[in-house]
Order: sequence, then C-alpha cells, then structure tokens
Amino acid sequence: MVEWAKDGHDAAFRELVRRYERPVFSLVYRMVRDRALAEDLAQETFIKVLNGIRSYRPEFKFSSWIFKIANNAAIDHLRRRALDTLSLDGSPHALTPDEMQATALQIDGQQESPLDEVASRELGSQIEHAIARLRPEYRACILLRHVEGHSYEEIAQILDLPLGTVKTYIHRGRNELRVYLEGVHE
Amino acid sequence: MSEHPHNPHLTPDEIELWAQGLLRAARAIHLAECRECLTTGEHERKLQRDLARLPRFGPEFGFVERVMAKVRVQTPSGNFRP
Repeated sequence: MVEWAKDGHDAAFRELVRRYERPVFSLVYRMVRDRALAEDLAQETFIKVLNGIRSYRPEFKFSSWIFKIANNAAIDHLRRRALDTLSLDGSPHALTPDEMQATALQIDGQQESPLDEVASRELGSQIEHAIARLRPEYRACILLRHVEGHSYEEIAQILDLPLGTVKTYIHRGRNELRVYLEGVHE
Repeated sequence: MSEHPHNPHLTPDEIELWAQGLLRAARAIHLAECRECLTTGEHERKLQRDLARLPRFGPEFGFVERVMAKVRVQTPSGNFRP
C-alpha cells in the first residue's frame, strides 16, 4: 500500500487515511482534549505523511512513522499553547500531582460549545479524566502502549526517547493513574 | 508479607507481564505467598484492561476528502487495487 502511495496513486493515499484516521485522531484527541483542534492536527498529520511519503524509510514501521508525526503535532501544539496546557495539567515544572493541580488554571463559568459537549461526553469517564491529568509525555507513552498496543521499542522510536526513559514514563504513568483511580477500582 | 531472599517481590516489569498473563510460572508463584504483590498485580491488570477497552474515536464525516483536498497527488490513480 505504501509503495502504491509512493508512486502517487490517489486510491492508495485514501486507503492509508482510512486505515489510520481513527487511531491517529484518537491519540491526538486524547492529547489535546478538543475535538475541532484534534481534527485540525490529525489533518496536518496526514498532509505531512502523504506529501512526504517518498521520504518514508521502510526500515521503520509505517504506523510508527505516522504516530511520530501525529504525536509531534500534538506536543508542538501543547507547547505553543502553554496556557491551554496549564489549564489541563498545571505547570510543566510541577513535579507532583498536587503541584500540578495547584498550578492548573480554573475555567469555570465558560459556555460550552456543541463540540465541547461532545468531548465532555466522550472523554468524561473517570479513566479519561485520569489520563488527562498525566503530563503529556506520560500520557503519550501510556496511550501508545496500552491503547494502541505498541512495544516499548516502537514507542522509543515514535517519541525519540531512550528505551529506559520510555519504561520509566510508562511505569510512572501507570502509578499515577492508579493513584487517580484509587477508590474507583476498589 | 515479608520478602524471602530466594523469592523477591515482583519488579514493575514482572507485574506488567503477570497482568498480561506472560510471567513465567517460577516467578508467578510468588503471588501465592505475597498479598502485597498480588494486590499490586490485580490493580495493574484492572488498569491495563480498562485502558485496552477505551474506544477509538473518529473525526467528523468527510475527513478523508478534507485531507485529500490538501494533498499533492503526483499522478492520477489508474490501476490501483485495494
């Protein structure tokens, strides 16, 4: 399929988008928790993938390459919009959940748009809230490992991180999730 | 439960393997003697199951067309078979 796309076949492009639109959108959506923005970032991802498909190196898994571009788009956005990140996660310099909560912005009293309401419904479960409280690096690792089923090695490749760091992030992320979900799992 | 030198607590990696049903029996037997590791393992298994059950979301209808409208396709498709 990728070879067909490299040859510029329109149908191969479409098929690649169809195959990966849900996993890519889901990852980005859970990273930024905004439907419209997630759609923009997912579009940006596929446009980069398809326009740059000739630079794809087959020694990497194609899905790893797509997720790398998608994750970079989400992380770049979160960095650019540090204020928005604060509203979700607290200060990026916060070291503990308490510090993160203490530095998080409160946005009470804002009117929800219809898309916000959809997001509230879709991302409203306790586990989704717990995932949202993770710092973005942990969140990406947990989603890639436990939702998308990537190996540690693939995640290291996707996120450009050493394997040991990925393991640490996943262990810490799971520990934090267990703390956030304490009581729910009792 | 105390940790026996010949039967140490499970490492985080081993807990993960146990939660996935992949830990070798010689180490899994530790859980029969250690409530601490068993509790951690059960929480881990529940968490991993809950994460694996999370739904995948899709973009709004027409996403493929919106992407394709912005992509530079170099040659038209003629003989592609999916």
